[in-house]
Amino acid sequence: MSVEKLEPRRSRPRRDEEVDVVIVGAGPSGSVAALELARAGISVVVLEQGDWPDYDDYTGARPEHELVATKLWHPNPNVRDNPRDYPVDTSTTDINPLMYAGVGGSANLYGAQWMHFLPSDFKVRSMDGVADDWPFTYEDLLPFQLEIERQVGVSGLSGDPAYPPRGPYPFPALPMGSVGHRGIMGQEEMGWHWWPGSNAIPSESFGQLNPCVRRGTCLTGCPEGAKSTTDRSHWPLALKAGATLVTNARVSEIETDADGLATGVVYIDGNGRTRRQKAKVVILCANGVGTPRLLLMSGGEDGLANSSGLVGKRLMMHPFASVLASFEDPLDSWRGPFGQQIYSLEFYETDESRGFLRGSKWNCMPSGGPVGVSGAIGSKVYVSEDGDFRDFWGKNLHENVARRFGHSLIWGIVGEDLPEEDNQVVLSKDLVDSDGLPAPQIKYQVNENSNRLLNFNIERCLESVNAAGAIETLVSTPVRESGWHLIGTTVMGDDPRKSVVDQWGATHDVPNLYVMDASTFPTSGATNPTATIMAVALRNTRRMIAERRNQKVA
Amino acid sequence: MSEQHGDTFLALADFLIPRHGDMPAYSEVCTYDTALAALDFRIDLKEGFERAVAVDLKDGAEGALEKMAEGDAEAFNALSTVAVCTYYMDQKVRELIGYPGQESVTYDSKATQPYLVDGSLAKVIARGQTYRPTPGL
Repeated sequence: MSVEKLEPRRSRPRRDEEVDVVIVGAGPSGSVAALELARAGISVVVLEQGDWPDYDDYTGARPEHELVATKLWHPNPNVRDNPRDYPVDTSTTDINPLMYAGVGGSANLYGAQWMHFLPSDFKVRSMDGVADDWPFTYEDLLPFQLEIERQVGVSGLSGDPAYPPRGPYPFPALPMGSVGHRGIMGQEEMGWHWWPGSNAIPSESFGQLNPCVRRGTCLTGCPEGAKSTTDRSHWPLALKAGATLVTNARVSEIETDADGLATGVVYIDGNGRTRRQKAKVVILCANGVGTPRLLLMSGGEDGLANSSGLVGKRLMMHPFASVLASFEDPLDSWRGPFGQQIYSLEFYETDESRGFLRGSKWNCMPSGGPVGVSGAIGSKVYVSEDGDFRDFWGKNLHENVARRFGHSLIWGIVGEDLPEEDNQVVLSKDLVDSDGLPAPQIKYQVNENSNRLLNFNIERCLESVNAAGAIETLVSTPVRESGWHLIGTTVMGDDPRKSVVDQWGATHDVPNLYVMDASTFPTSGATNPTATIMAVALRNTRRMIAERRNQKVA
Repeated sequence: MSEQHGDTFLALADFLIPRHGDMPAYSEVCTYDTALAALDFRIDLKEGFERAVAVDLKDGAEGALEKMAEGDAEAFNALSTVAVCTYYMDQKVRELIGYPGQESVTYDSKATQPYLVDGSLAKVIARGQTYRPTPGL
């Protein structure tokens, strides 16, 4: 686009009027981009297939919470069965992708664990001889990380020796519960790293966010409005700055002209009508499954922006294991914050003597209510598929609950996932969404490196909790319902033959088509990616605005 | 659903959740109406639940549940989900296990955390840097 082409915007664009930028998806990355663009005076429309979250629908403060949340707020769209989500063909994957369609995106159901990637995450090829380096460094991204933290309202404590020195967090770390203190006990017995949890949950009032009250239901929606999601942190500001948000708008295709430049998108509105949003620039922020799905639905048989053949490939989902440990002492383990009271990066960096490359991040969290710890229903995380039902019922139910409820913690173990082209998103041949569009199919296998990584970390984790006095431990690996982090399916790089987008998110094939979600990440790190997703989106958008005179458009 | 269905449900629920120690059996704290009310929150379970409470108890509750768990997992899941969730929603049961629900807890965000003064965090810092620097790569 050229600034000469931009007219002063005194009012929002009319429906279907051409705008400067259309963004697909109002989750973390799309929200960041929308706010920046609107503040720069650029007309922007965001199309979101879901709706605004209704905080009255979150059940965390109500007695029926455990009954309702296991369905209505399940992170797997196939379980939730909401027509605004699209179904996912999971018949060919070891791990189910988890996501949520709505303003704020999948973060509505995240734990709000807020972690930066580490320096080595950006230089995996150079340091460990596998996968790829990123086109930029930890240091390049750090200023954007810190700015995003201020926008989001992150609580935490700086000074962690697992990271290079950095400035303070916007808010003090959330108070640590008994769960965190017990986690510390084990780590200190072993002489291993731990640090107070950093969370996208302000410990004090901030903008439209209320202070956390430790309700402990972060993963099923925060009824307090305390967990930071962009419907509260970014959208009030973006709308005020002039951005337009269209909800219940499911994009079906990116359109291009004869020169191969994007001209806008086609979408189906909430009334089932097909509409067209013309734009000079198109930005995809639809997550590591939705973004390649849309590219594959556009541009013909091979999809759009796919001359490399890599659209949809290299899917990474962070194989995940968990260790539930019960203790004699009460830990009040239904209390939040749920995400992470402490984390450990003891085994984050590569040590080849362990028999695998790269590493893991652990997070210590409460185990929740009595139904969850009973193992009797829900995700059956700790229930063997071939187990006898009597193992979890009768007197065993009472004894399991008595031993675990209020007395247990969970260490989550996130393993770095290395990219493999066979792990990919394709279009399902027979499954469709509520508008008849092809659903994504996931082809994904946990690889040998990940299995070794998880097994090593589980053994170490058991050492830690046993050192802290555990009387019972339950292990689940890899957890099938754990694909929160959807990464790598439109990889960034300098070589158009080996990557889909450049380091600023612009597709090599269609210069006015961008991707700004985690699809572009060359590697996955082992930390929760939302901080990095938003920081990369901010970096890309700032660059787009600064270079708008040179932007090629249709 | 009929009175017989209610009797069947309570028989099955009491096998899943019997009296044990201080803990009451399901039917001592909950009723069939409790379960039906729960289905209003989970209409997705209604179909399976209806099949579950229509089973024949001639082989006893345990035999019926075993057959259901093997042959109709959806019905078993519906029945057991309703039973366990309504049981732990009951106020008496919650008091017995010491569960106030997902409560709101106030706190002083500026209070000094114990790890800052008891030396534990200082040990982590003293163990030194663990990240691998990358400048120049």
